[in-house]
Amino acid sequence: MGPSSTSHAGTGKLIPPFPPQTQLDGLLAGAGYKVRSSDLHLVAQRLESLESAMVSSPSHVVSHLASDTVHYNPADLVSWVDSLLSELTHSHHHPSNPSSSSSSSSTSPPSRPLPVDLDDLFSVPSDAINWVQSEMPLSQQPPPPPPPPQQLTVVTTMEEDSGIRLVHALMTCAELVQRGDLHLAGALVDEMTALLTSINTECGIGKVAGYFIDALSRRIVGAGSVPAPPHETEILYHHFYETSPYLKFAHFTANQAILEAFEGYDCVHVIDFSLMHGLQWPALIQALALRPGGPPLLRLTGIGPPSPDGRDTLREIGLGLAEVARSVNVRFAFRGVAASRLEDVKPWMLQVNPNEALAVNSIMQLHKLLGPDPTPIESVLSWIRGLNPKIVTLVEQEVNHNQTGFLDRFTEALYYYSTVFDSLEAACQIQPDKALAEMYLQMEICNIVCYEGAARVERHEPLAKWRDRFNRAGFRPLHLGSNAFKQASMLLMLFSTEGYSVEENEGCLRLGWHSRPLIAASAWQASPGPLPLPLPMGADDYWNDD
Amino acid sequence: MTRDKEEKRRSVLFINDHADILLEILKRLDGRSLCTAACVCRLWRALATADSVWEHLCLRRIVSPPPSSPGSSVRPVVSALGGYRRLYMLCVRHLLTRLDRDPGGRWRTSSAWDELQLSLSLFCVDYYERLGGRFGDTAATSSLMFLCKPVNV
Repeated sequence: MGPSSTSHAGTGKLIPPFPPQTQLDGLLAGAGYKVRSSDLHLVAQRLESLESAMVSSPSHVVSHLASDTVHYNPADLVSWVDSLLSELTHSHHHPSNPSSSSSSSSTSPPSRPLPVDLDDLFSVPSDAINWVQSEMPLSQQPPPPPPPPQQLTVVTTMEEDSGIRLVHALMTCAELVQRGDLHLAGALVDEMTALLTSINTECGIGKVAGYFIDALSRRIVGAGSVPAPPHETEILYHHFYETSPYLKFAHFTANQAILEAFEGYDCVHVIDFSLMHGLQWPALIQALALRPGGPPLLRLTGIGPPSPDGRDTLREIGLGLAEVARSVNVRFAFRGVAASRLEDVKPWMLQVNPNEALAVNSIMQLHKLLGPDPTPIESVLSWIRGLNPKIVTLVEQEVNHNQTGFLDRFTEALYYYSTVFDSLEAACQIQPDKALAEMYLQMEICNIVCYEGAARVERHEPLAKWRDRFNRAGFRPLHLGSNAFKQASMLLMLFSTEGYSVEENEGCLRLGWHSRPLIAASAWQASPGPLPLPLPMGADDYWNDD
Repeated sequence: MTRDKEEKRRSVLFINDHADILLEILKRLDGRSLCTAACVCRLWRALATADSVWEHLCLRRIVSPPPSSPGSSVRPVVSALGGYRRLYMLCVRHLLTRLDRDPGGRWRTSSAWDELQLSLSLFCVDYYERLGGRFGDTAATSSLMFLCKPVNV
């Protein structure tokens, strides 16, 4: 039989069967059982009847099986199961058999009291796939898709089946891409697309898988994705802002930290590394208006991409913010700096005044500087340090999408974005806003999967790595206070779903979905003492004197 | 006979003649009742839609505002951003509903003042968005949309 006989819906492709029919099944062999591939279905059948017999047996028989277990002949899996079955059906209680759980020790634990799902039994981690494939002759060995459950009762729904298969297929495909086997990867993409028709692509794994399959196929074809014009990106960003708490959490937490750092200062200056629509700043303006002692003079410098059609979008945003400031009687000045990449910005463009309190705000921007050598992040951090800011607020995605290995990156991205899409699903049901928010995420996914080198800008790194970088660059952590935590908790409560959580960790706040942290906010201040040594890139040209 | 009627008329209290008492009563109502009251007649509408009544409603739960930010300094800011009635309808109302749903929750550590601050921040973002269709076709949507959604079942 072998797992090669096709049952994939809709494809006309035949995958050639494994040539040696008496081949031992590699996966179970890895666990010490010698089972012929051709016998697999028999084993599965017997295991299923064993389990149903156990469920229906009186409990004293079963508990004996569970506790007094000796595995006499692991090589002969089929006859062992037969003997178990005969034990149970005769209701003898002398066990000479291994516990039932060891039969599936190489697989996921059967926590359900129902007959075993074949896919779970043969679920495969990616390194096992490697192992199996290295055994086969190198030419034209297809990746082993899970065996079709033809002869067995499939208890799980068709969808769950397909969902699990889809995830496995995605991993396999990514692994093939990493190895450069694009021809087979392409074939697998076709199969996965066919598999998608049998599951619900409106939510859950189907939707996320759809995006990842799309990204993989772009990478295989070499097309990449057309980068969206900045205007479109801003619209998608706006919808993402409205439908999920992530950006609101980022803005409100950063604002609270900046507000606290500006206490007592009359002239304050905020540098925003990505102005977008400036949605973060009205709240800060209002909070400054209400602060004890009255508002300071607020200067805002917003960095953003140059607008293609000659409109000065930065200036327009600045005018809007100035209007808000005027309404609440806060003296306000705005300056826009147009730069398509953050590394193109030079400190003199920001016109920092040494007498004012400076805050640098970066919401999901610094990871774009982690590109290939020479990475600009060090020089940017050093000129930030040179400006001597009172506070640097950093909000970044809490995941590692900057690994060199494609498969690792792909796996992380799959799990991360599944979680994000789940949370989006729960938080917002209003179309088309949700669809636009998802498109924003889809752009990130495409960038992570399709691109390499300088074009891959979504290089997320977890907070621990950012801590190291900032410590090396001459910063020390500034703890976000309890006010920020309270505000974040209240904000989350306003989103009408359970599932979001805020946790505080060494002075940083992390927002997560069902205890998986997704986004981390932290604050930094310049550590006292001599500034770190200048880098050999002419960075000392850009330093201000204190 | 007519003298009895006249005496009766003098002893009956006609609330519309006593706007100050009416105002005191309205100040103690909740949002929904205030809106209902505004539908009664022109006098009631004028009194029930006055921002001072809604200010009272928004600040009611604040036992003592911090001395650094007394209610009087908040008033001009709120008026500039659209007034207390709008603040209540857009933000405070939803915040209170959510809080009531979870009275013993962990966010109870926040004070009523913190809650008002959060409402004000959200209100300010909304004001900014309304300032002028700078977002093109997205002007119709609002960042406060998430407050109005029904709770997931």
